[in-house]
Amino acid sequence: MIYDIRHVTTYRYETPVSFARCTLRLAPRNGNGQRVFDSGVDVTPPPSARSSRTDFFGNRVETLTVETSHRELRIVALSRVEVERPPSPHVALTPHWEQVKQAAAGSQSLAPDAPAHFLYRSRLVPMIESITDYTRTSFSAGRPILEAAADLMVRIRKEFDYDPEATAVTTPVEEAFRRRGGVCQDFAHIMVSGLRGIGIPAAYVSGYIRTIPPPGKPRLEGADASHAWVSVWCGDEFGWHDLDPTNALHVGNDHIVLAVGRDYADVSPIDGVILGSGGQKLAVSVDVAPVKG
Amino acid sequence: MSGESLKSTRPVNKRALAEKRVAEWTAGYAPLGGIPDEYMGADGAPRPHWTRFLEALAHQEPDEINRRFGAADRHIHDMGISYRVYGETNERTWPLSHLPLLIAENEWKHIAAGVAQRAALMEHVLGDVYGDGKLIAEGALPAAAVAGSQDFLPPMRGIKPPGGKWMHLYAADIGRGPDGRWWVLDDRAQAPSGAGYALESRLVLSRAFPSLYREMNVERLAPFFRHYRDGLTHSAERAEPRICLLTPGPYSETYFEQAYLARYLGFLLVEGDDLVVRDGQVHVRTIAGLKRADVIWRRVDGDYCDPLEMNAASRLGVPGLIEAIRNGAVVMANMPGAGIVESRALLGFLPALNRRAFGKDLRLPNIATWWCGQKAEREIVLERLDEMAISGAFGETIPGFPGKRILLGSELDGSDRARLVRAIGERGIDFVGQEVVRLSTTPAWVDGKLAPRPFVLRVYAAATEKGWEVMPGGFCRISDEMDARAVSMGDGVKSADVWVLSDKPVEMTSLLPTGDSVKIRRLLGNLPSRAADNLFWLGRYLERVEATLRLVRCLCNRVVDIDVGASPARQSIERLQRLIASWGAASVDLVGSSPAELATVALCSTEHYGSASSLASSSMRAASVIRERLSTDTWQLVSGLEARLTSKPESILSEPECFDRADRALRVLAALSGLIQENVNRVAGWRFLDIGRRIERGINTCRFARHFADKDATADNLDVVLDLIDSQITYRSRYLIGVALAPVRDMVMLDTFNPRSVGFQVERIDEHLATLPLLREDGMLEMPKRLSVKLLSDLSTEDAEQLDTNKILGVEQRLMGLADAIAERYFLQGPHAVRGDKLTDLA
Repeated sequence: MIYDIRHVTTYRYETPVSFARCTLRLAPRNGNGQRVFDSGVDVTPPPSARSSRTDFFGNRVETLTVETSHRELRIVALSRVEVERPPSPHVALTPHWEQVKQAAAGSQSLAPDAPAHFLYRSRLVPMIESITDYTRTSFSAGRPILEAAADLMVRIRKEFDYDPEATAVTTPVEEAFRRRGGVCQDFAHIMVSGLRGIGIPAAYVSGYIRTIPPPGKPRLEGADASHAWVSVWCGDEFGWHDLDPTNALHVGNDHIVLAVGRDYADVSPIDGVILGSGGQKLAVSVDVAPVKG
Repeated sequence: MSGESLKSTRPVNKRALAEKRVAEWTAGYAPLGGIPDEYMGADGAPRPHWTRFLEALAHQEPDEINRRFGAADRHIHDMGISYRVYGETNERTWPLSHLPLLIAENEWKHIAAGVAQRAALMEHVLGDVYGDGKLIAEGALPAAAVAGSQDFLPPMRGIKPPGGKWMHLYAADIGRGPDGRWWVLDDRAQAPSGAGYALESRLVLSRAFPSLYREMNVERLAPFFRHYRDGLTHSAERAEPRICLLTPGPYSETYFEQAYLARYLGFLLVEGDDLVVRDGQVHVRTIAGLKRADVIWRRVDGDYCDPLEMNAASRLGVPGLIEAIRNGAVVMANMPGAGIVESRALLGFLPALNRRAFGKDLRLPNIATWWCGQKAEREIVLERLDEMAISGAFGETIPGFPGKRILLGSELDGSDRARLVRAIGERGIDFVGQEVVRLSTTPAWVDGKLAPRPFVLRVYAAATEKGWEVMPGGFCRISDEMDARAVSMGDGVKSADVWVLSDKPVEMTSLLPTGDSVKIRRLLGNLPSRAADNLFWLGRYLERVEATLRLVRCLCNRVVDIDVGASPARQSIERLQRLIASWGAASVDLVGSSPAELATVALCSTEHYGSASSLASSSMRAASVIRERLSTDTWQLVSGLEARLTSKPESILSEPECFDRADRALRVLAALSGLIQENVNRVAGWRFLDIGRRIERGINTCRFARHFADKDATADNLDVVLDLIDSQITYRSRYLIGVALAPVRDMVMLDTFNPRSVGFQVERIDEHLATLPLLREDGMLEMPKRLSVKLLSDLSTEDAEQLDTNKILGVEQRLMGLADAIAERYFLQGPHAVRGDKLTDLA
């Protein structure tokens, strides 16, 4: 499947802003079932400096500086991506989760996708006893890792409310868990925290899902903004597998990966600092349209 | 001269007396069973070097010893040697044990060799983990034992350290184990602290006991610091590198030490804001523009070094720093990420890693440690839990047991034990089990006698061209807690000087004329903008304190002087009250009430930003961030002024009491002014301090003139203004006619022979500006200078008869404009000066 993605972010400020420095992670990842044909970002007002690099986890990061006084900052990211992922493994074939845990603790790599990076607390994802406890229910002794993780995903989908009003981008994981509500970011953080809590490596993935569902299927939550889900390590043989707790889906060809990291702090699509004294308003729109042909 | 020969020259009865005193001090000295002691050997006999020390000490009269102990305590207090407990606003005075820890030379050689060996091993591990990762790939070190450290910074992988080294300073916390050997308890590689306190402790103790210090042949510390500095210098690309000490700022626990070390070693003390990355290089913002920084000695944690590539929430770092390191543009001491070798998870692997890397056993053993991330090790720990001490594998505390650093298996109750066992089973990677080790004790001076106390010794190693140099001495912490592993600075912990005793007399180094007294080097290069900013504000605040005190003193003086009912004086008093209130020193509703009440508020209130007390605190804050630039005497006067003015009176003071309080504080300020003229040695720094004072004085004097020398001013009003600017005597000697408006205005505003006039202030500011570095190359005047030249010429050509309140207000506003222009040109301005709002998006 080939998609055209248009992600528009607009900040409007009460008072003029004289300086902004942004870090953007808006270019989809290449590889692992994705092929990027084209990707670019337009910024108004035009930045005085732009530079880009690939971070440790393999994400494209662009840093830009705006030094023109402005009341509105508009960032338009356009990409064309082909997604062709192999089908998910049969869950019952994946190893017992205890084996995966032991393999992670004894792993012999610090490469960017090595499980060791995703085993411990990270900046936004602490280990919380109540979340670990919630997770244990799905991880009964000897259960295959992907079966158990998918069960956890389904429980989160069922037992948590999708509620954009419940949380903000800065809401701690523990609070979202206590409220049993939030958005994709919260669900992904909760699931990552729970998996790590029992010793299973888990990563945070940011990206998009297609806006208009295929005929006969419901429209998915998180389609009109950037989305987030979880990648769980299933041992050396099976590697990483992505699960979307917001929609209770194994990630397939309807998802497009932007960036992978330990939590939102590693992958936030737009991050930065502005100089200004007034408040700000944010508008985000995302369109993910299949290309006919 | 050795101790023995010295003793033999003394009369026998004196020697007998000394022995008697030693016997009294040590009577009943009883080390705990099974734990080695530094004073008393396993056989119960005192160790010879301690006996030598105690007898030498005992040759002094008990009163004299106490006086010397007292002098040491005062010295610590006067120097402002302090530390901060995390989360506290006020610094605490450094507690120093009166007795040093003594270590004989032969034993020290073993320790030094062991610490140097360990530093080399840590450097090897860092190079591998952040480099090609062979140790990991070949199974010598599990990836998870590394990645769990908060200091493991993935972006550092693949970076070659500029200057070739991951670490320039390393420290090991050691203690003597039950078998009498020295053991390593912890490693410090992130940003080892305490070396500056070691230096300070030495200074204090060697000053208190100079002859004892000489007699004992104590190894000097200064050469170590020279080695460290030379090592950093050689690592840099340029022959005369600019070395910066990057501090998290005055609220960090060890800010005193950082300021002290920067000053001692001649490094620039900088905060993240002072540094900027341009064109791939790191620069310091100075009053002469950007100047390259070659070496950064980092006291900011690795993850906070660069908000662009590390923790985006950090406000302590330098955006782009990692990229500059990647480009080889700046030497880091130590490299961000070096902290991983502090993890206890690593301890169990080190003996094998050393054999693998260097084919040798470790000279100093670790405490036996099992990382529970491995199955076999985890089983050992769980089976032998009763004999184990459990700690976090990474970080200070144990996951799931907030605030706990160590859990002894034998002391756990049922539910905690079950919880711990489950946690180790579930996430063994977070835990280590360690052999329970009780550490040796050393004598402390407790109520006139010696008593054994547990201690931890931190030993430092510096990377030099010729390998690792170890400081002969260290940072020793003595605790009342019996498990010395839990010792950090806090209640009940003292530090002690560490004396490594040479068998031969120690050479005096040329750096050190007496004892370890410190020769301060001049700071290299230009004045950083932040320092200029703080010096300027220190000057302004001090001057504002002075003006407030003068107003209060004048008010109280008038109340004391006048006859009840004399109306011109009443009107002056009300004007003074009004000015004090509009100054922000008291509430407006106090105007017209009792002068004593208003004066008390203006002096002591903490709620009014313009009160003498608040302004003194502001001065102190400005001073504390440039502490490395102020002499000890200056620092003492500023902190003395603050202490004096912030002390709260029991009730409202009477007018004479207020007068007295203001008058005494003014005398401290006078002493401070004198000292600043004589003692602030760096030219540009002193100029900014003086510009700040003069701008503030100019503004305040305009205000005085507007309030008391307006067109309706009474003779009494004019008298007040002459009082406020200390010009009564000059005026009376010059004009025999009594006070009149035009001559007073001339004296207050224009007369450049009067050091209190506005004209005089502007003339000095103009002179200062002429000497400061220029950024413009086209020969045109920079904005501050344009303003000062214009103001000076206008004041010089002004006629006192033509002056009016409006014109005076105009001068006041131009002075404020000049202050803004100075800030704009010389201080931290532009994108990085003000902290911005966070920009983020919602998913």
